[in-house]
Amino acid sequence: MDRRHLLKNSLALGGLACLGSTAKAQPQRVPLMDRPFNLAPIRAHVDRIYDIKCCIRPFRTKGPRLDVEQIGDAMVIHNYGHSGAGWSLSWGSADMQVQKAMSRSPKKIAVIGCGIIGLTSALMAQRAGAEVTIYTKDVFQRTRSVRANGSWTPASHMALASDAPSNLGDVWERMTRISWKNLRQYIGMAGNPLAFADHYYLSDTPFDEPLPPPPPSPVPVPEYYELGDRIGDITPTLQVLTPDLHPFPAKYARRTTRLFFNFSEYGHLLISDFYAAGGKMVMRDFHSPGELAHLPEKVIINCPGYAAHDWWKDTAMVPHRGQTEWLIPQPEVNYGLTYRNVEALSKSDGVMMIDIGARNGLPKGYGNSNEVPDRAEAERAVRVMEELYSRFPANPV
Amino acid sequence: MRLRNFLAIPLLLTAGIASAQTPARLSIWDGVYSEAQAARGHTLYMQSCARCHGAELAGTFETPPLVGRFMPYWSGSTLDALFDYVSTSMPLDRPGALGAGANADILAFLLKSNEIPAGTKELSAGNLKSIHFDSAKPRRVRK
Repeated sequence: MDRRHLLKNSLALGGLACLGSTAKAQPQRVPLMDRPFNLAPIRAHVDRIYDIKCCIRPFRTKGPRLDVEQIGDAMVIHNYGHSGAGWSLSWGSADMQVQKAMSRSPKKIAVIGCGIIGLTSALMAQRAGAEVTIYTKDVFQRTRSVRANGSWTPASHMALASDAPSNLGDVWERMTRISWKNLRQYIGMAGNPLAFADHYYLSDTPFDEPLPPPPPSPVPVPEYYELGDRIGDITPTLQVLTPDLHPFPAKYARRTTRLFFNFSEYGHLLISDFYAAGGKMVMRDFHSPGELAHLPEKVIINCPGYAAHDWWKDTAMVPHRGQTEWLIPQPEVNYGLTYRNVEALSKSDGVMMIDIGARNGLPKGYGNSNEVPDRAEAERAVRVMEELYSRFPANPV
Repeated sequence: MRLRNFLAIPLLLTAGIASAQTPARLSIWDGVYSEAQAARGHTLYMQSCARCHGAELAGTFETPPLVGRFMPYWSGSTLDALFDYVSTSMPLDRPGALGAGANADILAFLLKSNEIPAGTKELSAGNLKSIHFDSAKPRRVRK
């Protein structure tokens, strides 16, 4: 139960996953079959940074917007504001919203936006039998979705406790479970659009050591809606590893297994499926909700992500900046780790690193809408890993 | 040829009379900003916008360009829509930080950068709703 609680905390951070500090996990014996071996070191050097990506999570204080609105003679079904859980919840959210759309038996459906929510909404609508046109100002590869972490983090800060609708927990669980079922079909496919990897949490001090008081925050620290322990049955537990069971030069270690998306392969697959089913893509920008009434399609699924802050004037949208740094791919590395508030994960298109910030106080990037990549931040993150791997026994520097 | 010119004269005169009677449809192509205003806007743009959109307005892989597809994306609206967007959503990290005058100047610079000709009047926040964002110079309809 404690371990579960820990993992829940880590999942809740989405894109920023790290461990909670309060649980008291007991060491457990790790059988031989679970012992890690042959872990290749990450070549963590700043000159291997080949991309820095920055985006704004579409955090919505009231939780994802899923209501239906009439604009002129068009039925607009909202599907945005999934915070750091868009990749994880996309299929479940799309399923729910497409069901609402199909209640009018439309022959044609418009989808606004081509991030991961828009794309999965479009595919779900096609699978429900509709002809779908996506209206988007950017192709998928340029959306904020592709600048995210892209890990299975379904419980990533869904709403503020004070603003969440009373049924959010139930809605979230439904979205999560439908998504999980849908994602199953992509596991094991060529190119690994979706893959599992072991993730190590490393620390120089005990995980349950109390954190120092957080630095003063210029804005109130958000109190997030508590989703509770709802998906324990599909969530791997967290194992405690004694120093003789892992190669890392850190005194304390834990391990779990996490699911993640490889953007290139997964994105390519979804877009190919969309076109193969006769989907159309129209490059277009919208400036006011009223413009939707002029579309030929009268059933519209609205998936603008953070852009809802501007064009729908949705004041519940709060920017939450996140940055990932990308090092040259290392296919021989098949795991991820978190150490000194930096997370690393080996993906097909690079070794991704993130400075996830301190575990207490204002979440890093909360309220920040600066989307310009910060090279200094990227180098700091890489240097934390460089220092760790300089002590890695298999790779003396 | 001569006949056509001959016929065109009264038509133009008629159109002139018509426009005097009802206000003409105003377009961004009608010289709605001044060169001086665009120059001020250029300075403001470099201070507040260029960090993301670039000195050449070309954008980046992630940041939208403010030339090229900028025209079709905004065409069909009136200039108040663009002004409202810039005023309330930009700069991205400090939305609404610039005043109405500064935003009008930046708009003038954006129009100039998209090869919309300048005029003698300055763009002001007051009458933007009447200025149509046409992607190409509209042909005057003969009546």
